Amino acid sequence: MKTSGKLTAVKGLLLIFFAVSVLLPLLRMLARMTTVDIRGLLVSGPFLAALKNSLVVTAVSTLIAVFLATLLSWLLERSRIRFKGLFALLFTLPMLIPSISHGMGLVVLFGANGLVTGWFGLKGSIYGFWGIVAGSVMYSFPVAFLMLSDILRYEDSSPYEAADVMGISRRHQFASITAPFLRRPMLSTLFAVFTLIIIDYGVPLMVGGQYKTLPVMMYQDVIGLLDFGKGSVIGLVLLTPALVAFILDVLNRDKLTLSFVARPFRVRKNRLRDGLAYVTSGLVSLAVLLPIAAFLLLTLVKKYPSDMRLSMDNISRAFNMGAGANLGHSLVIALVTSLTGVALSFLVAYMTARTPGKLSKILHLVSLISLAIPGIVLGLSYVLFFKGSLIYGSLAILILVNLVHFFASPYLMIYNTLAKLNEHLEAVGQTLGVSRISIIRDVILPQAGGTLAEMFTYFFVNSMMTISAVAFLATAGTRPLSLMITSFEAQMLLECAAFIALLILTVNLLVKGLFTYYRSRKERSAYEPDQAAV
Amino acid sequence: MGKNKLTVEKLSKQFGTNEVLQNISFTVEEGEFLSILGPSGCGKTTLLRILLGLETAESGRIIKDGIDIAGLPPAQRGMGMVFQNYALFENMTVLGNVEYALKKRGGSKKARSTALELIERVGLSGHLSKKPRQLSGGQQQRVALARTLAVNPDIILLDEPMSALDVETRLALRSEILDLQKEFGSTIIYITHDQEEAFAMSDRIMVMHEGVIQQIDSPHKLMDQPANDYIRAFVIHNIQVKIDSLIRYSREAK
Repeated sequence: MKTSGKLTAVKGLLLIFFAVSVLLPLLRMLARMTTVDIRGLLVSGPFLAALKNSLVVTAVSTLIAVFLATLLSWLLERSRIRFKGLFALLFTLPMLIPSISHGMGLVVLFGANGLVTGWFGLKGSIYGFWGIVAGSVMYSFPVAFLMLSDILRYEDSSPYEAADVMGISRRHQFASITAPFLRRPMLSTLFAVFTLIIIDYGVPLMVGGQYKTLPVMMYQDVIGLLDFGKGSVIGLVLLTPALVAFILDVLNRDKLTLSFVARPFRVRKNRLRDGLAYVTSGLVSLAVLLPIAAFLLLTLVKKYPSDMRLSMDNISRAFNMGAGANLGHSLVIALVTSLTGVALSFLVAYMTARTPGKLSKILHLVSLISLAIPGIVLGLSYVLFFKGSLIYGSLAILILVNLVHFFASPYLMIYNTLAKLNEHLEAVGQTLGVSRISIIRDVILPQAGGTLAEMFTYFFVNSMMTISAVAFLATAGTRPLSLMITSFEAQMLLECAAFIALLILTVNLLVKGLFTYYRSRKERSAYEPDQAAV
Repeated sequence: MGKNKLTVEKLSKQFGTNEVLQNISFTVEEGEFLSILGPSGCGKTTLLRILLGLETAESGRIIKDGIDIAGLPPAQRGMGMVFQNYALFENMTVLGNVEYALKKRGGSKKARSTALELIERVGLSGHLSKKPRQLSGGQQQRVALARTLAVNPDIILLDEPMSALDVETRLALRSEILDLQKEFGSTIIYITHDQEEAFAMSDRIMVMHEGVIQQIDSPHKLMDQPANDYIRAFVIHNIQVKIDSLIRYSREAK
């Protein structure tokens, strides 16, 4: 049939796009490894030390972050405290700034000349193992918190009510209801957080000191020494945990079907628990807000701590050094990435969710692969693959790399939305003599509006703050704002770096705020009859 | 009645090695109510999709009013379909759902008046500006019917239209559908797995099992002269059980 021929052509084109933007660059990187003495590198002292460092620091950080996230998500979902929305917002604030600024926050607060260090006359150093742990927890906690909150929110309370009726003790309820329920999501969260931390170089670069991890080693080899071969080998090693997590996730995804109609929890009065919830949430909020307050202080005084007069010096210096132009780059990159990203992921998800077939299944899997590729690896493979091409050195390659890097999550959002819409809509259109395009425009798109806005926000926020993939690809003429943090830090201009972090936070907060406003308006109007139509 | 409206000749369809339809042949007369009765997976939905043109058959002919329509796109076959779970446009109002196709085909003023008439006819004039999720299941089904009738098809196909409704609504809708059929003079092909429904509504019933027509006859004849053991077991036995329980119920009620 004609239409199925057209659909196949579109799917073919999309597969070619992914081949060129994901698979070929990765293969190019692997090919690069043939020039390296891989075995020699893998058993060399520095490599093994960095590997061990990475594993230990990631394991410790993961455990702490997930423990904290479990506690906090449980306290927010199962207590009667007020300001839950505000706390949830504060907890996820760290997701809006680059990981490197979490390291910087620690330096500003606890470094040799740090704010807190100064006030309390602390000794000891933030640099090294515990610095990385603190920064990594900060940066990965929101992700774990969001994942676990979601799970707890949709837990069914009826087994607990049944257990209460039968007189089963709280301790046994936990062992026989809560623990089995949480096992799988907990494992997913642990894997996700572990992967997130082990591939990050922002935090260890800032506060690692002599404690070198694999991503830092890779970053320095590639950026500092231009040793692409060695970088590729480390890249491959970093790809492994993400790949394992990805495979487990794909295997589990279909099995994981939460019972949809869950009876929500009726939380009983418990002064002690609510008190604990206030204290813990307050402390975590403070931990989140403290670095931001420090950035603000650092930015707005002339020279901390010697000259505490208010001044615009740091801001104007940052702008003199190109913050304005780089903000422009970032906004263009984020905007174009978001628009093309939303369009592309909608197109792909439409194909995979609403037109069945073998190609759709392949396309679905390929779309998820980007979930498994660390930005730092993607960046390096792009350098190797696109060098000498037309887009190399232009804004276009930064947009492309962000598009691919952040593709999987928005894709999954819209995939789920489209799969939930009635499967016969297009067939209805066909029997009524209305084309597929019209049905998409008039019926499907209007119902996907909220999801599309959420996807846009995701692409935008991440494009604004990412440093991992773009670090290898940006030039002076295309440099995004986030990379100024690294360079200001290298020039010991912490005040300017703090200002840049605030600037990114402000832009991202604005975009998030607009999205929240849009969604709340949409939700309200969804249940009101449409007067205009009559 | 009496004139051949639709003739299906030797229709076959395979999915991989699975023969979903094997040599299906039957005719439907103008103004007839034909039920296709069979358990899920017997090929009845596939048959409907092929008749509509949403799916193509490997072999066989579909002749409507003397013309082979197998090569025509769905909208040019003069058939309307009420889908399982209605497949309403959730973002549009009742009025929007019914007039959408008419507007798309041109003539927005005519579209509005036709749509309003149909909505009135199915008894939803008081719900014009409601969205589907604000309606009951039975009301949603009526919107789906009105939307299908809007493009004026002469054959209407219904795919298990009552499966999600409660008993009371089902009974009410049964007679409404029959009334609409009379009023519009439509020919109806009605898919169901509910024996009682098929017996209560149809002029003829076509019983399908594993891609093969087991028997196609009037309800009476099906009862009196079942063609094989399958009909006896699947159709008559089930009806018998229902009748028995009814009799017992009415005795106890006395």
